Amino acid sequence: MNKKRAVILSTAIVFSFFAVYLRLTDLMILSHKRLSEKAKLQHIKVEDIHVRRGIIVDRRGRELALNLELESLYCDPENLKLDNEGAKKLASAMSKEPKIVLAKVPAEGRFAWIARKLEDDTAEKIKELHIKGLGFLTEAKRFYPKGELASHILGFVGVENQPLEGVELRYDTYLKTTGGKVFFRRDASGRTLSSGVDIEAKGNNVVLTIDEGLQYLVEKELDKAMVRWRAAAASVIMMDPFTGEILALANRPSYNPNSPGSVSISDRRNRAITDCYEPGSTFKIIIGVASIEEKVAKHDTLFDVSKGSIDAGGKTIRDVHKYGILTFKEVIQKSSNVGSITIGMKLGKERIYKYAKLLGIGEKTGIDLPGEVSGWIRPPEKWSGTSIGAIPIGQEVAATPLQMLRVYSAIANGGFLVRPHVVSEIISPDGQVLSSLRDKEVKQIISSKTAETFKDILKSVVEEGGTGRSASVEGDEVAGKTGTAQIINPKTKRYSKEKYVSSFVGFVPADNPRLAMIVVIYEPKGQIYGGVVAAPVFRDIANQALSYLNIPRGKDAYETPLLVAK
Amino acid sequence: MVSFIIKPLVIAFLLFSLFGLVWLRSHVVTLEYNLSDLEKKKIECLKERKMLLAAKANILSFGKVEASLSKNQGFVFPDRIRVIHVKKQKESLPYKASLDKKRLIKP
Repeated sequence: MNKKRAVILSTAIVFSFFAVYLRLTDLMILSHKRLSEKAKLQHIKVEDIHVRRGIIVDRRGRELALNLELESLYCDPENLKLDNEGAKKLASAMSKEPKIVLAKVPAEGRFAWIARKLEDDTAEKIKELHIKGLGFLTEAKRFYPKGELASHILGFVGVENQPLEGVELRYDTYLKTTGGKVFFRRDASGRTLSSGVDIEAKGNNVVLTIDEGLQYLVEKELDKAMVRWRAAAASVIMMDPFTGEILALANRPSYNPNSPGSVSISDRRNRAITDCYEPGSTFKIIIGVASIEEKVAKHDTLFDVSKGSIDAGGKTIRDVHKYGILTFKEVIQKSSNVGSITIGMKLGKERIYKYAKLLGIGEKTGIDLPGEVSGWIRPPEKWSGTSIGAIPIGQEVAATPLQMLRVYSAIANGGFLVRPHVVSEIISPDGQVLSSLRDKEVKQIISSKTAETFKDILKSVVEEGGTGRSASVEGDEVAGKTGTAQIINPKTKRYSKEKYVSSFVGFVPADNPRLAMIVVIYEPKGQIYGGVVAAPVFRDIANQALSYLNIPRGKDAYETPLLVAK
Repeated sequence: MVSFIIKPLVIAFLLFSLFGLVWLRSHVVTLEYNLSDLEKKKIECLKERKMLLAAKANILSFGKVEASLSKNQGFVFPDRIRVIHVKKQKESLPYKASLDKKRLIKP
């Protein structure tokens, strides 16, 4: 009996061991691959590396564009438990209509966004509802802390942080970075173990040439001018005439890059580089420079403009006042149309065209912002009979405000055509300078002697008897030129008698230029002349900008130091 | 006699080593948990830092500073005409002044 029991027991044990052996064979050999994959899924958690755009700072390191970490709400439609009451509460927390919220929940699937990049308090309110099937993911939202300031330079990004305008678009290659995956081990309860890998990948930072302080002053004065003249639009650009660094650039109308969709597309246009206008009298500088370079005239050459009008191809062009006999300098100072056309006729169309092209008219300046247009000037063979009477006074020519500013900067810096730019450096996330975008060589296009002569002429424009008197800055000499141009009425195809573009372009201090600036006011009401409308804006900005930059006033800036005896 | 002592010692050493390995492993895992918690905290702090940085940049914008200072404190943007710039002196000004005075008194 005992022997029989022993046999049964030993057989059972052997079979049991055999069963265990078979199971182990299955687990460790036959199903090894499947099970190890399953185990991996349970023990390893995979997360996307958070990709964050680099930040944008001004020339003094003040943040102009950075990233916020906000939570986005998603749902798992298969597991979502959302009744009518829950939908109402959810909609109320999001300050939306329930039907709008429910429309975002698909009938099937495992993932759908309900709302992206929620404010912190909204996300908290939703979390308190404890609705099953809803979840949150952290996403980066681009934030522009200064609001509207410099919006046309910065541009903006879309909901997926894709670049859409401005520096964001032009320098996207540097600002963005690539992501990837990071693996964490986790235990049965879901607690993760450290991977030792940084979960955030940052793009490179961009340093602008813009100064926030100057940009603020420009925008403040531009807003005042818009109200004062009830203008349709306006642009101001401030530049370092020696380096081409844009110190400030503003347009009106404007927009807030935090909510770019709230305005029309035309308000988001960077008019300073995308819109052309007929520069009017500010173009006379090109005729003047050409005539000095080509030795057609000197600063004291006399021109008889006493008739007050001139015939060009059957069209009569008049001066605002009858002047008599003017020197070349006075032709520019008083902005005589008759004098300028006379000089233009002496020069001839080939030389006018040559110098206009040489000074960058009809060519893109190469500024590092998207959407720049080249403007145009017709080649001499396509000029009409009246062109010789129109082009010397800035008609039949289209230029951007930036192109005109560049021409005047060439006078300020001794004859060099600079490349305007808004970005100076690219910095890696750990602070290393990856790329310096300053130009190493600048081409000289006119002689320094001509530039000096013309600087004196432009100074006289802002002195007594000049058209730009109201641009004068107390304590410093200003050199510049006023411009008043008619706008073509698209219906009649003729110059409008009501709509004008008023402008002033110049630099200060005249003998040691620190700032070159152009002010363009489109369709001012009440007054039309550049000397009345735009020149005071130039003066107010220049005054404050020189003070902000701590630039002492001209010769009288330094007071005799007080001697203090013991 | 020697093997009588060595054998239990070897066994004890092996057991101790085994225990040590398990103990070390458990400590490493605990450290990894702690590190993971700290990483989560770090992420939270970085998030907070970004929010604060944005708030600071917003508060320090020129428009807000000027509006607040001119309204509450009576500050105005400096009038350039009323600013006097004094040239830098190589030597200290009071010393030079006293020296000049001495020279004048005792030529």
